[in-house]
Amino acid sequence: MMISIAVTGGKGGTGKSLVATSLAIYLSRHMEGVVLADTDLEGPNDHVILGVNQLQDEKPIILFLPFIDTSKCTKCGVCVKICDTGALFMAGKAYPIVFPRLCSGCKACYYACPYGAIREAGHVLGYTYVTPVCPDNHCFKLVTGMLIEGEEHTPPGVYRTLRRALSLNPNILIVDTGAGTGNAVSMGFRDADLVLVVTEPTPLGAHDLESILRVTDDMDKRVWLVINKYGIGDQKVLDDVIANHRVEKIYRVPYDKSVAEAYALSRHLLLYRPESPASRALLGIAEDVRRWISA
Amino acid sequence: MIEISVASGKGGVGKSLLAAHLALLLSRRWRLIAVDADAEAPNMHIVLGVKEWDKVLEHHEGRRAFILQDKCTRCGICMEACQFGAIRIMGGKYIVDKWLCEGCYTCSLVCPVKAIRFERDVLAGWIRVEEKTRWGFPLVSAEIIPGRPNSGKLVTEARNTGRTIDTNADLMILDSAAGIGCQVIASLAGSHAAILVAEPTRASISDLKRIIKLVQHFRIPSMLVVNKYDLNIELYEEILGIARENKIYVLGRIPYDENVPRSYVAMKPLVEYSPGSPAARALVEIADRLDEVLSGFDEWRLEYLPEAYKPFTPIVIRPGESLGQPNMLTRW
Repeated sequence: MMISIAVTGGKGGTGKSLVATSLAIYLSRHMEGVVLADTDLEGPNDHVILGVNQLQDEKPIILFLPFIDTSKCTKCGVCVKICDTGALFMAGKAYPIVFPRLCSGCKACYYACPYGAIREAGHVLGYTYVTPVCPDNHCFKLVTGMLIEGEEHTPPGVYRTLRRALSLNPNILIVDTGAGTGNAVSMGFRDADLVLVVTEPTPLGAHDLESILRVTDDMDKRVWLVINKYGIGDQKVLDDVIANHRVEKIYRVPYDKSVAEAYALSRHLLLYRPESPASRALLGIAEDVRRWISA
Repeated sequence: MIEISVASGKGGVGKSLLAAHLALLLSRRWRLIAVDADAEAPNMHIVLGVKEWDKVLEHHEGRRAFILQDKCTRCGICMEACQFGAIRIMGGKYIVDKWLCEGCYTCSLVCPVKAIRFERDVLAGWIRVEEKTRWGFPLVSAEIIPGRPNSGKLVTEARNTGRTIDTNADLMILDSAAGIGCQVIASLAGSHAAILVAEPTRASISDLKRIIKLVQHFRIPSMLVVNKYDLNIELYEEILGIARENKIYVLGRIPYDENVPRSYVAMKPLVEYSPGSPAARALVEIADRLDEVLSGFDEWRLEYLPEAYKPFTPIVIRPGESLGQPNMLTRW
């Protein structure tokens, strides 16, 4: 049975990637078949934090793209009408024109065309990578999704990245989501058995935490809250939010200068300063996750 | 009206801090509108200490599919056809996941027994308007229903609301979302200039490079602000090098300052909470420099327009073709 753990948070820069990579490093020391999926396609950073220079095993993320077969097209305009994203356009008596960048690959036009005049073409949204990472002789696989700059349909890319991660048959799947609270993020923790929500003790963190917890509540998820940079703001600002939502456990990762130092040196905190207060807190969370998995 | 987006690629590097302060500092000299264009995590109003809104407009758009269980024959064709993985089996029934459905009609078109219906004009989020903040300028903020799609459309809506709220305004400052996706494109695409925010970390540099490609695609002249620059001088200089290479105007830098999170907790803009703090002074300097840029905007714009126009060309595979070209697979 695969166990899946998602790391999310709403606000950017709260430490999602640090928590997700720490979890992957720790769990891979104790378990086989750990896969970390970086589903922040707009700004994937897990490989940067892990010091991976070269992502490997590239595969394109290909979305469906309509191709108008002019020998069959009657210019009836059904495809243009059904398209939600404005990717199909018809000027006067001309055949429909396709704008690949606007196409989300939903395929509605393909099924709607009464004359079978739409053929399946493809459009590369981005790439996925699978890179073995062995920070301390224990390995896990890092799956990275990367959007091509200029493309904008992140959710189908997240879906493909998750599918690629699942195709590796992991025992433990750790999903790192992007910033935000839209469906590109909620998709990442939709199927998680445990959601780690990472926030910071400021009103900005509290605001976005509220948004993300509304979703986890509605999905009935098991939530463990990680308050990162504990000490910089005031934890009281989070109290109301926490009280109004289902949060099973609360962890605090102290604000620690060694985090910034490790970032600057492109070393992972757990390897650079395993004894620092932040490292110890992160290891504590990972240990609890491992215990919870075994139970 | 000049429209300027504050963007960064990476989240949490100080976009809202900068955008909110530019608005309040420049409002002394410019008639401006502030727009929070991060519908998934709107934070500008918090930095400005806005707690209540004059107007909250519901924004309805889009559709959501649902399956009539008495008609459904459990054939599973819809599940295979859905490109977003939004149809799943729960308790033996096929259901549409409301968090993932983009409302595109594909499932209803393939369903052989017409068991799929749509909920229309679903509430997508809110456009919140504060007509007059303490500093006199209006603030428009988009907020999406958490977990739902299409935040980019809401951003466009917020910007349009901003444009109509004061048609005599000279300046609009937009606080963009993290990332490079639809929300960011919705904010950047109509802008006359962008202010990119970075901090001296590898992760931020990696994301900065991605957002630079985006502004080049749209041919938007850009400025740069490095936040917490003193955390790592070496990487700070690397960022300045990237700016030089890409013809990006360096607007200024902000030192690391613990007064920043404290001002958030106090729900007060930093320049009022702690006017003498190093970060507050840096923000004032940055605003002054932006004021200079705006005063001679046309000349500045010509000077800093990205040199080579690098329009975005999507990679398209025609029917029957395959992605054979080896150079395409080694982009990274």
